[in-house]
Amino acid sequence: MPIATLRRMILIGLLLAIGAVLSFLNPSFLKLDNLMTLLQEASQTGIVAIGFTLVLITAGIDMSIGAVIAVTAMVCVNFLSYTPIPAFLFIPLSLLTGCLVGLFNGYFITHFKLPEFIVTLASRGILAGIALIIAVKDSDGFVSNVYIQDPVYLSFGGTVGPVYIVTIVFIVLAFLTQFFLKRTRAGTNIYATGANPAAARLSGINTDRSIYGVYMFSGFCASLAAIFISARMMTAMPEFGLGSEMDVIASVVIGGTPFTGGVGDIWGTVIGTLFLALIKNGILKLGISPYVQPIAIGGIIVVVVMFDVWYKAFAEGIAKRSAYRRKQSGEAAAAVAAEADAVAGGDGKGERS
Amino acid sequence: MSKTKILAILIAISVLVSGANLAAQSVYKIGYLPSTLGQAATKAWGVGIDNALKAAGNIPLQSVDAMMKAETQVSMMDDFINQGFDFIILQPIDAAALTASVKKAESKGIPVITLNTDTLAPHFACVSMDDYGAGYKVGEAMAKQIGGKGNVAIIQSPPGAIAGVDREKGFRAAIAKIPAIKIVGAQNAEWNKDKALALMNAFLQANKQLDGVFAVNDNMAEGAAIAAEAAGRLKDVKIWGFNGQLSTLLQIEQGKVAGTAYTNAYEQGATAARMALDVLRSGTKTFAKTQVITVPPFMATIENVGQIPANIRW
Repeated sequence: MPIATLRRMILIGLLLAIGAVLSFLNPSFLKLDNLMTLLQEASQTGIVAIGFTLVLITAGIDMSIGAVIAVTAMVCVNFLSYTPIPAFLFIPLSLLTGCLVGLFNGYFITHFKLPEFIVTLASRGILAGIALIIAVKDSDGFVSNVYIQDPVYLSFGGTVGPVYIVTIVFIVLAFLTQFFLKRTRAGTNIYATGANPAAARLSGINTDRSIYGVYMFSGFCASLAAIFISARMMTAMPEFGLGSEMDVIASVVIGGTPFTGGVGDIWGTVIGTLFLALIKNGILKLGISPYVQPIAIGGIIVVVVMFDVWYKAFAEGIAKRSAYRRKQSGEAAAAVAAEADAVAGGDGKGERS
Repeated sequence: MSKTKILAILIAISVLVSGANLAAQSVYKIGYLPSTLGQAATKAWGVGIDNALKAAGNIPLQSVDAMMKAETQVSMMDDFINQGFDFIILQPIDAAALTASVKKAESKGIPVITLNTDTLAPHFACVSMDDYGAGYKVGEAMAKQIGGKGNVAIIQSPPGAIAGVDREKGFRAAIAKIPAIKIVGAQNAEWNKDKALALMNAFLQANKQLDGVFAVNDNMAEGAAIAAEAAGRLKDVKIWGFNGQLSTLLQIEQGKVAGTAYTNAYEQGATAARMALDVLRSGTKTFAKTQVITVPPFMATIENVGQIPANIRW
């Protein structure tokens, strides 16, 4: 069984097992309200994680996602507080914020060949500052967190039936991105860029374009998440999203996209996000101290990555052994052939002499 | 580990937890959700609430720590609502950010008491320290101590933290009435002792004459006092804090911190708990207007700090 399928089966199995244990221990876990809130939280992280997965497939990293959330939220409240522009117009505009940040990151990574981590860490700092600067201030110059009352904007935090809109968007985005990655040429180029950039360039792939693309998409996803987070909380704070990078990275890594690039897909990330949200919800439900939460998440990451490394070595071992066996049997066959040849040759020689 | 062992452990855990659930179901389920459990004030509120609930018949209290993140606090509120708590005592990290959660809880018939920070949605009650008024009094008291003239600085809370901002606004309003006092600096130390220490060093270096510093909580005042002492200027600078935690009252007695706005946090927590029990017993579920109860602050200085008895120091 390929490693991706096996570990996915294991994760889904664990997901169901933890869910079963939780519903057994605390009956309120299986309540529709709780499951929908769980999905809502998972989707908020998940939307960002989808963009992040693409960056990770190119063997890059995007540390600026949290700050993009903060800045986008600030852009939105500025539109709400100071302009009469309706929500359905300024929301697409504010989504451009993330794309612009991605463009900036992509430019410094491709043009100046700077390390991805450094570039995005720097833009994280810059954006966190910008968020505070453009935050809405009261008459005394203090940052005031605007209470959002625009009904169109708030509808993003609402539900269709029992399902939160953010969950629907998350699922649709996951389908579209998975299709893009697996079924389009641009998607394949992203894998190629991550697996071996030199080989990709030599085979005529514009790797710079792939890199621009993934960072812009990552920024876009973070901006999209910002709309849902601020609509849910009915306000925007300049520290929104800062620190959420860790949850996003954890979701993607648990989902099976490695840091080495060239591998990974969106379904893994979806499962990883659900897994993380379930763990968090479970810790709350069982009344365990929230201090345990980061420890649990860190522990899970270590276990998952250990499994990945072990399984990779195990699979390579099998491959090596079977190659050896093939070689052995191949050699044996060659020896037999050579012997036959020698015999035939000998005969020939004998004939000639 | 064998399968039977794992099964046995799982069953043991579930029996324990469901046992706890049964015990909780027999009485009210009350949740306490402070911004963080790691501060003297939030701990003292918790103790006050817990004691009042124990006195009323061993009602259990579940506390969770939102670790100063509004997003975390919102999801914890959602979780308390989904778990069907009967009453929530909340110290909102941000007034606007928690408004939606408070609205949701109240709409599901779960009354909410907020501590210190009111939200914009009407709810059962807010038990508050009167940040603005107390900040104003700190300004007046400090002005008196420094003789009505000189340079003062402010050590701020993070931007957007309403409680800290209101304290600062009150302080500034009082200082604005005295033209001879100049505010020479105001910087954010994130409620944090070590950040305040570094900030105070910068203030001391930048200002040859610094007469007063208002830190909007006690931890930061203590940090500032350490810096001033190290620079040998503790005598010249009157450092004021806010809250009145045990360690700061001690430092006032030692003459290191000039004063603080003390509030009896035990009593504040207990008031909230008693109000919670009253409303649970009465069965009222909807509230048109938030009742605001203000716990009066006490300006503790070296002259009068002895009036605060040991049993209400937290």
